[in-house]
Amino acid sequence: MTSTMSNENSADQKMAFLNGVAYPIAKGESILTFSRRVQSQIDIPTLCDDSRLEPYGSCRVCSVDVALAADGPRRVMASCHTPVAEGMHVFSHSERVEKLRKNIVELVLSDLPEQQLPVSESEQLNEFEQVVLATGVTEVRFAKGKQSIDSLPRVFDNNTEETGVEDYCDHSHPYMRMDLAKCIDCNRCVRACDEIQGEQVLSVHGRGFDARIIKGQDVSFNESDCVSCGACAQTCPTGAISDVFRDKLVEVNSKDVDKVRTVCSYCGVGCNLEVSVKDNKISSIEAPKDAEVNAGHTCLKGRYAWRFYNHPDRLTTPLIRRDGELSPASWDEAFDYLANKLQSIKADHGPDAIAGISSARCTNEENYLLQKMMRAVIGTNNIDCCARVCHSPTAYGMQKSFGTGAATNSIEDLKQTEFILLIGANPTEAHPVTGAKIKQKAMKGTPLIVLDPVKTELAKYAQWHIQLRPGTNVAVLNMMAYFIISENLVDQHFVETRTEEYQDYAQSILGLDIDELAAISGVDKALVKSAAMAYAKANKAMSFHGLGVTEHSQGSRAIMCIADLVMLTGNIGSKGVGMNPLRGQNNVQGAADMGCQPHQGAGYYTVDDSKNIEYYQEHYGIKQGLVDSVTPWPTKVGYKIPEMFNAALAGDLKALWIMGEDVVQTDPNQQHVVASLSNLELLVVQEIFYSETAKMADVVLPGTSFLEKNGTFTNGERRVQRVKAAVAPKAGCKTDGDIVVEMMNALGHPQAAYAADTMLEEIADVVPFFAGITWQNLGDNGLQWPVAKGGTDTQILHQQKFTRGLGKFHFYQFEESREIVEHGEEFPFILTTSRNLEHYNAGTMTRRTANELIVSEDVLLINPKDAQNKGIKHQSQVKLFSARGEIELKAQVSNKVSAGVLFTTFHFPELMINRVTGDVTDTHTKCPEYKVVSVDICSV
Amino acid sequence: MSKNLSSLAKRAGVEQTLFQQLVLNENSKSPQQREKLAKKFLVGESVVSGTASFYDFIDGENADKKAYVCNGSSCLCAGTQDKVKAELIKQFGEEHIGHATCLGRCAQNKAFQIQGNNFSAQDIDNLAQIAKEPTTKSNEHYHVACTLDEAILTAEINDVAKYYQLFSQVTAKNSVDELLTKVSDSGLRGRGGAGFPTGFKWRSCLEAKGDDKYVVCNADEGDAGAYSDRYLLEERPHAVLFGMLMAGYLSGAQTGILYIRDEYPVAIENTEKAINEFVALNIDFLENWQFTFKIIRGAGAYICGEETALLRSIEGQRPVVSVRPPFPTQSGLFGCPTIVNNVETFASTHFILDTTHGGTEKCGAKKYLALGNGKSTGSKLISLDSAFNKPGIYEVSMGTPLTEVINLAGGFAKNIKALHIGGPLGGIVPMSALDKLTIDFESFSENGFLLGHASVIGIPNEFSMIDYMAHLFEFTAAESCGKCYPCQIGSTRGQEMIENAISGKQTIDETLLTDLLETMQLGSLCALGGGVPLPIQNILQYFSEEISPFLTSSTTKGA
Repeated sequence: MTSTMSNENSADQKMAFLNGVAYPIAKGESILTFSRRVQSQIDIPTLCDDSRLEPYGSCRVCSVDVALAADGPRRVMASCHTPVAEGMHVFSHSERVEKLRKNIVELVLSDLPEQQLPVSESEQLNEFEQVVLATGVTEVRFAKGKQSIDSLPRVFDNNTEETGVEDYCDHSHPYMRMDLAKCIDCNRCVRACDEIQGEQVLSVHGRGFDARIIKGQDVSFNESDCVSCGACAQTCPTGAISDVFRDKLVEVNSKDVDKVRTVCSYCGVGCNLEVSVKDNKISSIEAPKDAEVNAGHTCLKGRYAWRFYNHPDRLTTPLIRRDGELSPASWDEAFDYLANKLQSIKADHGPDAIAGISSARCTNEENYLLQKMMRAVIGTNNIDCCARVCHSPTAYGMQKSFGTGAATNSIEDLKQTEFILLIGANPTEAHPVTGAKIKQKAMKGTPLIVLDPVKTELAKYAQWHIQLRPGTNVAVLNMMAYFIISENLVDQHFVETRTEEYQDYAQSILGLDIDELAAISGVDKALVKSAAMAYAKANKAMSFHGLGVTEHSQGSRAIMCIADLVMLTGNIGSKGVGMNPLRGQNNVQGAADMGCQPHQGAGYYTVDDSKNIEYYQEHYGIKQGLVDSVTPWPTKVGYKIPEMFNAALAGDLKALWIMGEDVVQTDPNQQHVVASLSNLELLVVQEIFYSETAKMADVVLPGTSFLEKNGTFTNGERRVQRVKAAVAPKAGCKTDGDIVVEMMNALGHPQAAYAADTMLEEIADVVPFFAGITWQNLGDNGLQWPVAKGGTDTQILHQQKFTRGLGKFHFYQFEESREIVEHGEEFPFILTTSRNLEHYNAGTMTRRTANELIVSEDVLLINPKDAQNKGIKHQSQVKLFSARGEIELKAQVSNKVSAGVLFTTFHFPELMINRVTGDVTDTHTKCPEYKVVSVDICSV
Repeated sequence: MSKNLSSLAKRAGVEQTLFQQLVLNENSKSPQQREKLAKKFLVGESVVSGTASFYDFIDGENADKKAYVCNGSSCLCAGTQDKVKAELIKQFGEEHIGHATCLGRCAQNKAFQIQGNNFSAQDIDNLAQIAKEPTTKSNEHYHVACTLDEAILTAEINDVAKYYQLFSQVTAKNSVDELLTKVSDSGLRGRGGAGFPTGFKWRSCLEAKGDDKYVVCNADEGDAGAYSDRYLLEERPHAVLFGMLMAGYLSGAQTGILYIRDEYPVAIENTEKAINEFVALNIDFLENWQFTFKIIRGAGAYICGEETALLRSIEGQRPVVSVRPPFPTQSGLFGCPTIVNNVETFASTHFILDTTHGGTEKCGAKKYLALGNGKSTGSKLISLDSAFNKPGIYEVSMGTPLTEVINLAGGFAKNIKALHIGGPLGGIVPMSALDKLTIDFESFSENGFLLGHASVIGIPNEFSMIDYMAHLFEFTAAESCGKCYPCQIGSTRGQEMIENAISGKQTIDETLLTDLLETMQLGSLCALGGGVPLPIQNILQYFSEEISPFLTSSTTKGA
């Protein structure tokens, strides 16, 4: 056999041969990966392989002939798990292996009586049928013998109405389906459940021929602990495990189905989605396998909770309040009405009587436009976004410490990290794909510290779960710093060369009374010490934090405390380390980047600096006279959201424009919010549903969901990704970008029509870290800012130096929250709130999907001891009350919370949990303290 | 395998494993208890359920029976079990009778088990008494003989303390490297059947990176007809423990685990006793190095004799075969470097490292090397079943002619047409081939057979070879882990083909059978599916006259 070199063969490049041709090999790759990489046209069929899973080697269909010399003796080896080695000769399609493949597939078919043979070419073939076709099996020669189908349990079906007949299919679940008559025992589902999601809901019962897939202890999908991530359905090659949408997809002719790639809007992970669309209707959503963020995985919200998009509850016409009633109006009427109203308020009370709240659910372009309208058209810096109520302390604190208020590293760094510090975050619920990645690490033994008042899913796997009292993060973080310093575990070189103000900081830390702090926070000093020492000794430690850090009166300070720990141990500026906020909303990073903050404009320039004002005027075309300056440029810092409410109540704020945010339901101390909004002259709400806030509006403008618009979202790791409309805006609705553009024009400011690519051009001109971003070069997987001209992006910040030059240490004493000081005695329990997996914030979207069938209410978790003392029974109704108000809800007795702590979610508006939450906010950013509410409880 | 489950099992530790909870804890059957176990071990409930359902004696059809009848190949060939089963049914009722695949009572047959006690030979005549008092002593007897000048594996160990002194002596005198070289120089090869060089394996575990390492003794002697490991664990457990201790010292492992099959209760008991004696010796180990033993009790799954399945079994995973590489010495138990060796391999170590032989200074490794043909060295235990006049355990030098062993055992006790040597996956040796074979890996493989674990079962003249083929497929189908298609589906289809031919329903399509055997041989993930074609091909070759009436040559016959 002759060999030709297809590539330049340098002396040290190791080579192997595929069908006689030499190719360079990569370290650690299997023969299958090697073959697919070097000769993409050569197709080695497999059934059990999924490139995201560990090689399994069960189907043997990928077997190839392997020799150590061209003419040497050959051995048959499974290519998926045999490493390719130097000098190896691989024959992927020898007569022997082709026969072997055919015979194996024939065996599989001998146990699939329902499979039609022969399989003929068609677009709807599933993966298994494609392999049947490729291996050329047209008949089964074995006499009909034992069939797995004969011993399958006859259905868990409690829903036979749906099918009409008793069959093998498990219909129990709102989304998931399992029909073992189609199963080929490749175990991809079992492995995906374990290796991707980490739930281990699926396993196998029995052995040998009788082996079959089970859920839990052989129960139905609905009874099992399945979290409906759909990883099993996505990897299944036969459709034995499927879901309600995918099942239907099989029926339609795939030629008529468009696939649109976009980005999920349910959290800051930024999962890429592939939306199947037929006749302007969505039929199914899957996760693209080549997505850098989520590699074919996503959660039940991204994959299944999309039917809200054409829900009958959608708003479809502008509404104007006339005679106290909201009544339909045309778009022209609405814009005219608003232009007049805004102009007159501005004329009467000045531009600062008008404010805007932008939406982290909307695109960068839309956020940019709304802040531009407020600043350049209205003439006020009164623009804020929901980052205020979630991660504003992160942005503030990290800017103070490092100079940039964003994640220093990428989620991909989890692959390299050797230690994880997780503070005040429950990612398996709130950031499921990142949560699953962290869980994979933890299960495989990567040491994990969880600092959280709640025993979260990840806390179960943590070596150290420091279950502190809510509100004492600063105390515990200072304790950790104390032990790192006192045990001489500080990275001296890093501290000396990269930071400032260490000496003062260290002195203050060493002066702390550790026993007192341990008592305050209710933690075991020895546990904190061992955790701190392990963190400091780790080679590469990554920290993650969530709203359990920020939504506190000392939120910003706790952020700076985390930054202190990161700098003490030198865990920043390289791969596998860093400080990484888990951003709550899909585009909360972007909303702040785009300038939806009262103190900083697009690109984070402070608004009260004359140089910056000049910069903005120039870039918005005002200074050059390209557009008429319709207004004097605002020069002072605007209102933060809580200040907007106060100003409204005080009569200083007259008009509020809210784009896609239900502040009535989601902002704390609801009575206060309602009173404030009632006092406005004009409340404008852009919404897709008739939310609690929309109900109070004077003008309601029907916007669109992410599935109907183009633009970009920036995820929690600064990755700017393309959002693409899967369907046209619902009839009567406009995209939120179009709404703002038309409003700007109606106010006399010429703004070009909304288009994602041209908007990005404008933004790239204003925001320096977007300089190299174009709609084109974002590609499928986006770019991580800062992006230099030419498109080079940045995975890791602060590599050689910090954005602010030197990293700065900050010392803050622990301070008890005013909430506890003022109300702690009368209301002795601490309520802390969070999200669950199934719902998203106010439930506006998820509650209009079948997720509602999975979780249908907010419940209160109470420690068994407290339940006993209060005479509260599991699943009984209780009254929860605070200094502000009271609600009733169902209690569940649980060890997830310590004595004295209560926990609930806030997804169900009828519950109005924010009737009890307070108005204490973070000292620096006014982020509300949702996580510490003094309450009491009694049985009803 | 699941890396997550391996790692979580490591976290739980070897003292209280999920698997042993399922095997030993009576309170592990209800869904509520299993839910608790899942929580305790941080795994999904499906893992507990899936694992339990794999084993005959946990959730399998054979769980919780009052009596078990042996259905191993030797008892089958001896034709004794119909009567035994009938007696057991009479005593306990049919629904209370399960089966165990080989209790290792092959020297006498008529084997059965009651409440964890094994019986054979004339014991069945005493069933009423045994049923009353299951601890009644069995009247078991088999021969033990050795043809060597100085016994290696069958040598008695009278003074346990003195026996272990060798450890302190050699570790004081020799470096780890020197001792590993000795093991390699002896030519010792794995006795489980694969014949992998032991010194090489131990050294690669030593060189593997890892804070924790393990030594695992594969005492899941599932091959029907083999009981030499049972003999060693029952009669010479210290020889095994010493080998594990040395392997641990030489590789850096500090934990030795013996995975002993449930079907061998006395082996478990005697090994436990030996471990206690070892602990009582309070041997003064070196600084920073300790060694502890732990017994894991199996639960009735032949596949657990396959090393990766065995490791998964210890971890509480479903014991399905894992891909290799990585080999256990790189990533074995709990994902840590692990030496897995057979009982007999470990038991050979003392002799090899001993420098005093026959009262004089002699290098054991050299002595060991001198036995055999240079490639297969040392001695080998042979298990002979009741087809021989003097059935028992015979220790012979490697290279000993097979006929010499037969003579030693007093020849055959009945008319035999073939020997099944080396377990269910070993070859079927016709009488005409006996002269050609010597006891070593090479001779067997050159002649198209397999030495394996050197168990020998006589197949009587009257036993139909087509029935034996059915038996082999049936065994494979029953014991297949179910992971790879060639074995999972192939063994069942093979069984059906043969059974259809026997019942006269349909003759065997020769091409299809050839295709099936080739598919299993080339395509199977492990030696179970890959190995069973060998004895079947032997039967097709050597007993073609007997088989041909059941075959049809199809017109589309391939090359």
